[in-house]
Amino acid sequence: MGLAGGYVEVKHPEACIQCGTCVTVCPVEMVGGHAIVTFLADPEASDYSVWLCSSCWRCQEACPAGVNIYELMMEERRRQPAPGGYRDAFEKVLACGLVLEVVQEELDQNRAAWGLEPVELPSPDLARVLLR
Amino acid sequence: MRFAFYPGCLVLQRMPEYEASTRAVLRQLGIELKTVQQAACCGSPIVESFTPDWVYLAAYNLALVERMGHDVVVTVCGGCTNTLTRAALALQDPEACAEANRRLEPLGLTVAGQVQVRHVVRLLAEREEELGARVVRPLSARVAITNPCQAFRPGDVMGFDDPLEPQSLRRLVELTGAEVVDYGGEDECCGATLYLANRQLSLAAGRRKLEAVREADLLLHSCGNCQLLLRRFQGLIVRDEPGLRKPALFLPQLLGLALGLPEEELGLREDVVSGWETDKRMQRMGDG
Repeated sequence: MGLAGGYVEVKHPEACIQCGTCVTVCPVEMVGGHAIVTFLADPEASDYSVWLCSSCWRCQEACPAGVNIYELMMEERRRQPAPGGYRDAFEKVLACGLVLEVVQEELDQNRAAWGLEPVELPSPDLARVLLR
Repeated sequence: MRFAFYPGCLVLQRMPEYEASTRAVLRQLGIELKTVQQAACCGSPIVESFTPDWVYLAAYNLALVERMGHDVVVTVCGGCTNTLTRAALALQDPEACAEANRRLEPLGLTVAGQVQVRHVVRLLAEREEELGARVVRPLSARVAITNPCQAFRPGDVMGFDDPLEPQSLRRLVELTGAEVVDYGGEDECCGATLYLANRQLSLAAGRRKLEAVREADLLLHSCGNCQLLLRRFQGLIVRDEPGLRKPALFLPQLLGLALGLPEEELGLREDVVSGWETDKRMQRMGDG
């Protein structure tokens, strides 16, 4: 995987008792991927990436020690280089306020065809005003 | 109660049948939805992965609902439900709320964080009895559900159903007469978000599900992301084994059918729901 390896040192949460519950419930681990939970179960592990998480919150919900795994992971993501898919999607939000770009006219036509009320798109500079 | 509707990027642009069927079913319960105009991305999990300021983007969406004078905003994806709910909670902190308002000021908006966020599963589950009484066309189908993860978790914030093994989606499907298949993956994430970081693993997560639900007639979702991976990307997942292909519906489409609503109104036609007219499993569905 290697996306996370070597860039920064992730601080292992003190509350974590390394019981491995998070690993057993992680849907990414079930298909052979190693996300943040790999590191929690084994702080020596280097074959994991915080970007390989599907944001399902299952590990955190199941954690008997109450570790805020999601927040820990998000903080690490912000310190590390992002994979292209994430980067592109974020750039889209910065450019138009939405993850997917759509032309107003197309949206109008599509919604009219479904009998849905018209929807006005957000102002393009919106994300730049709100995210500094 | 006045209900606003927040479609989110994916459903707004790619899945109008989900919005149309949600509206059609809620209308039967006397709930009319007013779409939030100029809504932006909810922040989940893309913006949140880059900046803690995601909360102001979510706050912007809540501010739009407040401007409409509506009490409740109805969501249809897990991620939107999650970030909007967490943002409303974050805004209870006076400092966070003041900062949000500073950023919203140039846009002519204010936010207090008093809007209730309700995923469509929750909204419907809270009206389960009334829905059950309105079933006029019992269905017979074996349905494989995937619970929309983030609509239930974190449990202490969402405050609804069992966060690890939620039952509400299952019960809503069962009230149509359809049978919910136990395949062990009901509570496992679809893997759609993983697609942004690693396509192979994401498709493997989808494959794991499709292999486990061989006996099911159809898949059922209540989140745009589940539908994206398990239906839109299904061709990529089952390329070497077309036998795994499976039609997929959104919860309100199935409910609407059981309520006797016109198929056209629910987006139940071949070009929207692949297999609707051509898959024998779908034709049998109304024979309940």
